[in-house]
Amino acid sequence: MSEVIVITSGKGGVGKTTTTANVGTGLAQLDKKVVLIDTDIGLRNLDVVMGLENRIVYNLVDVVEGNCRMKQALIKDKRYPNLSLLPSAQTRDKTAVSPEQMVKLIDELREDFDYILLDCPAGIEQGFKNAIAGADRALVVTTPEVSAIRDADRIIGLLGANDVKNVELIVNRLRMDMVKRGDMMNINDVTDILAIELIGAVPDDEQIVISTNQGEPLVGSDCLAGQAYANICHRLLGEQVPFLDLEVKSSVWNKLRDIFKKN
Amino acid sequence: MPKPVVLKSNKYGINLILDNRMDFEELLKCIMERFKEAEGFFKNAKMAISFEGRDLTQEEEFRIVETITDNTNVNIICILDNDALKEELIKQKIEHFEEEQAGKTGEFYKGTLRSGQILDCESSIIILGDINPGAKVISKGNIVVLGALKGNAYAGANGNEQAFVAALEMDPIQVKIGDVIGRSADKVKSTKKRGRKQPVLIEPQVAIVKDGNIYIEPITKGLLNNI
Repeated sequence: MSEVIVITSGKGGVGKTTTTANVGTGLAQLDKKVVLIDTDIGLRNLDVVMGLENRIVYNLVDVVEGNCRMKQALIKDKRYPNLSLLPSAQTRDKTAVSPEQMVKLIDELREDFDYILLDCPAGIEQGFKNAIAGADRALVVTTPEVSAIRDADRIIGLLGANDVKNVELIVNRLRMDMVKRGDMMNINDVTDILAIELIGAVPDDEQIVISTNQGEPLVGSDCLAGQAYANICHRLLGEQVPFLDLEVKSSVWNKLRDIFKKN
Repeated sequence: MPKPVVLKSNKYGINLILDNRMDFEELLKCIMERFKEAEGFFKNAKMAISFEGRDLTQEEEFRIVETITDNTNVNIICILDNDALKEELIKQKIEHFEEEQAGKTGEFYKGTLRSGQILDCESSIIILGDINPGAKVISKGNIVVLGALKGNAYAGANGNEQAFVAALEMDPIQVKIGDVIGRSADKVKSTKKRGRKQPVLIEPQVAIVKDGNIYIEPITKGLLNNI
């Protein structure tokens, strides 16, 4: 039985595409058959983050319009044989596809894959409606900022109104040093407001920038963000994994400061 | 000289404005003529009729209706009272009743209201959950939030300033009661203190209108007795 998961956030730039790339790759590493669909028609970039840009011949709109067969548009990842990408069109816009067409397209993919991940565009318009149309489950990505949380809250409401019942939260770009200083919301503050299940917390990590630029997802590597994404994948499969200790290793100076603060 | 009979259409049918002094028999003739003129327009219309400008006995009213139906194809379904005063009175009664009911009866809503969602309620409402920023609750009665109120609340939506808004955690963006609006205090730039945040004391509070202003106060017995 395949599962269709939409990765969405409302606000732009919080890490939907990065999360899709890493979670998809992570699930493929766990021997699941995975297809990633970029639903951001007109602003595609999942292919860039996956490092597969140069292999695009056909895209999602071509499949929907019948210009090609599904098999022709799917790009097999060079690193993982059971990971595929259905890229979006760059020269069209969101109106090129309707929610009904998306449902049909997803149903066609259900037979061949265990997980279908949909990278949702920012916003709540047609692109969002297309992306959530066929979804069984949603991962809402947010950063610990009020603006991102406000948008995430709206998105969670809209997902509920559109009968996507299984909604989980990923808090991205946490900076533990700032949280410690009280300058950034911590995970509890975020989950308090949004009141949905947390499935992962990903620290802000320089390695992410490097990995997206190189088109090489970092899930499973030994940096903290890589481990965090790997844990999310395990939790998606229903395993119980303790949350990472994101605590920055204290320097002598920090320890001294802590001692003074306590007194 | 003004016409003795004027036809005016309204929501339900026809309003007849009649001359006050003319002899009734003569007036009847005028009415008949007037309707005959307009017969092509009415055709087989079914309508309610009302009278204005002249006090008619019931018998006279019936005779007018008879004259119209006998001489034209118009079907008169009923005679409507045309009494502006009475209508106003009824309207007031209904509104007053609604207002009372709104304060006395209530509904429950279970779940968190999220940004962009609006809950509009004829009666009082009790919410088992949070109202997040960007969400809005409107009630003609009172609003009770068993959770955090961080969005907008509008109690007494038909202008009742006796309504109140209560919440376990009161941190609204705006509260409106009747026609009085209160908004949250602008955020004071936190004087940067190194170290952990001071825990803020959270207690149940209620917002009420006093002297044309909205006051938010902790819920005490004395306060509840005054609501």
